[in-house]
Amino acid sequence: MNDSMSIPHLILNASGVVQFVMLLLAIASVLSWVVIFQRSFVLRRAQRAHKQFEERFWSGIDLNELYRETPAEQETQGAEHIFRSGFREFNRLLPKTRNSQAILEGVQRSMRVAWSREEERLNHHLIFLATVASASPYIGLFGTVWGIMGSFQSLSMTQQATLATVAPWIAEALIATAMGLFAAIPAVIFYNRLSSSSSKLLGKYEDFAEEFHSILHRNLQGRGDQDAA
Amino acid sequence: MARHDSRVGYGLPVVLALALHVGVIVINVLEFPGSEEAPTSASVVQATLVSTETATDQAQRAEAAKARAAKRQAEEEAAAAEQQRQQEAEEAAAAEQQRQQEAEEAAAAEQQRQQEAEEAAAEQAAQQEAEQARREAEADAKRRAEEAAAAEARRQQEEQARQEAEAKRQQEAERQRQAEAQRQAEAEAQAKREEEARQQAEAEAEQKRQEEARQQAQAEAERKRQEEARQQAEAEAERKRQEEARQQAEAEAERKRREEAAKRAAEAASSSLDSAIAGEEQSIANARQAEQASNSFQNLVRNAVEQAWIVPPNLTSGVEALVRLTLLPTGELVNTQLVQSSGDAAFDRSVLQAVQRAAPFREMRDLPPAAQRRFRDFNLRFRPGDVR
Repeated sequence: MNDSMSIPHLILNASGVVQFVMLLLAIASVLSWVVIFQRSFVLRRAQRAHKQFEERFWSGIDLNELYRETPAEQETQGAEHIFRSGFREFNRLLPKTRNSQAILEGVQRSMRVAWSREEERLNHHLIFLATVASASPYIGLFGTVWGIMGSFQSLSMTQQATLATVAPWIAEALIATAMGLFAAIPAVIFYNRLSSSSSKLLGKYEDFAEEFHSILHRNLQGRGDQDAA
Repeated sequence: MARHDSRVGYGLPVVLALALHVGVIVINVLEFPGSEEAPTSASVVQATLVSTETATDQAQRAEAAKARAAKRQAEEEAAAAEQQRQQEAEEAAAAEQQRQQEAEEAAAAEQQRQQEAEEAAAEQAAQQEAEQARREAEADAKRRAEEAAAAEARRQQEEQARQEAEAKRQQEAERQRQAEAQRQAEAEAQAKREEEARQQAEAEAEQKRQEEARQQAQAEAERKRQEEARQQAEAEAERKRQEEARQQAEAEAERKRREEAAKRAAEAASSSLDSAIAGEEQSIANARQAEQASNSFQNLVRNAVEQAWIVPPNLTSGVEALVRLTLLPTGELVNTQLVQSSGDAAFDRSVLQAVQRAAPFREMRDLPPAAQRRFRDFNLRFRPGDVR
């Protein structure tokens, strides 16, 4: 390869459509990497926070004290968020009704809402990664096909079809596919990795919600027996 | 609790992602152009046709070589003549010096003689002495004249030889130089011999004179007769020696001249044969070239092969291959053979493949039978040019 066959030179000399495709793929690659980094940080912190909260929760601390220690609802995340929304609902319903079944249903509902908010937060932008992973090979392929069309058009105008006549066009066209794969491969890998870790985390939240629910249930059961007696 | 930094912004991820991409681009830009050396973009095909028998410019080249040789020979001749002239001048100077020496010696002898005359106080002896000196001077003069004659003869011979050499001079300058060195050595030896002989004669004369002075009082007349006889014998002997030397030199020169003449004759014969062959070749080549220009079959073949030729990349410059094509009268290819390889195996293969792909050459059938016979077997020379 000489200077005219270097990759930057080929990109600059490509036809308009191919250049547009390349630009698109470059943007997609950059954005997918932004998402990859951001999600990695978010998930790592969420995992750490969940671990800390579980340690505190199972350390035998009084639930009212734990509730008072945690800040306002908007700032809490993960299992803490679920705990807060559930406990708040429990405290609100407790003076209003004596029906423990109604109280537990209300608590469960509010915790499901909090869980689904957490799910939305953790999976935020992961869909973009999935889109890049699945679409960018096709976009790159489109650029390649377009470039090869151009190469054959130019080939029809030359007298003799040597490899040297076709080579620059095909090389330029193949760069589009290469860029598509360059964007798609990390997106696929990190989408799988991040979505699996986020679903694992959500499973942990769910487990925590069930456990918390059983604690409250146990609590109400004791009180119901007292009232009945 | 990690509550305070639990919300992750987008600033750091953007920076990281951009840094990653810039890194990838920089690696591409830096590494790809650096690591790949630029090949020659010889995407162009140019084939030149060369017929089997055409000698093309062989004749012209032979003529040019001949002209060059003649020029070189002329230069050598001029140098040799110059050398010879210098040698002659040196010889003349040496002869002059010799003459001066002789005159000095004669003067010395005169002085001595005067002293002797005073010692003897004999007028008659002085007279005889003078007579003897005169005779000696005469003998010397005679000898000198002979020497001059010999030198003249030698010069004439050499002049003649030089003229002959100028007419047709041999090419081997080294051999000539050797021969000349030999000749010079001979001349020097001769000069030395003459010098020795002269010195000997002088010494003898001196001795004689001393003897005379001693015996003068006793047997003047007899001694004189004897001495004269002896002198005559001496002079005779010396003359004979010189004569012999000269004859020897002459014989040597004659022998050399004969050798040179024989050599030149042989050379002239061979060169005339060469030039005759070259002229014939040239005329044949001209005829063939004219004939080739008039027909276009080879051009057709060349174009067809060019069309089918895929020149391999990364060719070194200046490669070319000579391929021999053997065709049937129908234009079908019987055989291709690499007559002269380019040294690049890929290039050779591409040429052979191009010829095979371009076959058959149906235009062969349209040719007249005589032309068909001519194109049954011909050579094509291929070299990648600059045309796309």
